[in-house]
Amino acid sequence: MMKPRLPESEGFIRLPRPGLLALVAALLLTSLWIAQGQASGEAAFPMPVDPRYRAECGSCHTSYAPGLLPARSWDRMMTTLDRHFGEDASLDEATRAALTRELIRLAADNPGANMLMRRIASSFVRQEAPQRISDSPFFRHMHDEVPARIWRRAGVGSPANCGACHSRAEEGRYFEREVRIPRE
Amino acid sequence: MKRLHPLLLTLAVTHVGPVLAQSPQAILEVLTREAGASASIQRGERFYHARPGGGEAESCASCHTADARQPGTHYRTRKRIEPLAPATNLERFTDPAKVEKWFARNCKDVLGRACTPQEKADFAAYVISLK
Repeated sequence: MMKPRLPESEGFIRLPRPGLLALVAALLLTSLWIAQGQASGEAAFPMPVDPRYRAECGSCHTSYAPGLLPARSWDRMMTTLDRHFGEDASLDEATRAALTRELIRLAADNPGANMLMRRIASSFVRQEAPQRISDSPFFRHMHDEVPARIWRRAGVGSPANCGACHSRAEEGRYFEREVRIPRE
Repeated sequence: MKRLHPLLLTLAVTHVGPVLAQSPQAILEVLTREAGASASIQRGERFYHARPGGGEAESCASCHTADARQPGTHYRTRKRIEPLAPATNLERFTDPAKVEKWFARNCKDVLGRACTPQEKADFAAYVISLK
């Protein structure tokens, strides 16, 4: 008996099996490659190499990536350290100057900024020098699905505590797929 | 003149750091000398847990927790703070500059003023005494 032949008008492509497998594999690999690329949520920032940055600016809070704010914000912050969010965070002048240079060098609007940092820099109102990263349009956009009760959990405490959910924040790494929200 | 042997030189340079670091006892001796009177562990304990109300932070314990041997949490940012007691954190009270820096900052945070030399000596005596 003859095997029924499918009509060409049905749009059925007759491929040899190896070809079909190769096509499926190619499609799968391409979609994976697109998905792992610099999609929203895959944030990586250059961090200062000076060990004083973590020692001085990372003892009371996460040592934040300078690329999260524009240079003018860091400049204002580093000249008002005696009134740092209600506390005196003053530094000796040599340390203050060195860390200020690092912050400005790696700020969101620095000449060598990566694409993400340029997006962040352009999202701020011109000439405003925001002091809170968590007030920035970028931060709000990235966390708009986080309910208020999460911030109140003891293991998190506030939006200032990046390290609570972003365990590699001090490396400048805020990958969405690496986020682990404390359960309580 | 004979050149200094490179290996000896390397050993000397790499071991300068630990040599410069002091022991908690040595630092406590300096603080006691500056206070001009003996340090009191009991006064230090009361001082540690007190809520003087002069500054932004309620108490030393707000960040360093009721037990200074345990890791603490910054009262506002919730950042982890390594234990303050040398009993559980060998780096504590070994760097005089670091000790002075944090006294200057945190006394202002809790008391709204600088600590007196006696307060510093008492505080250090208490925290160093914890086992």
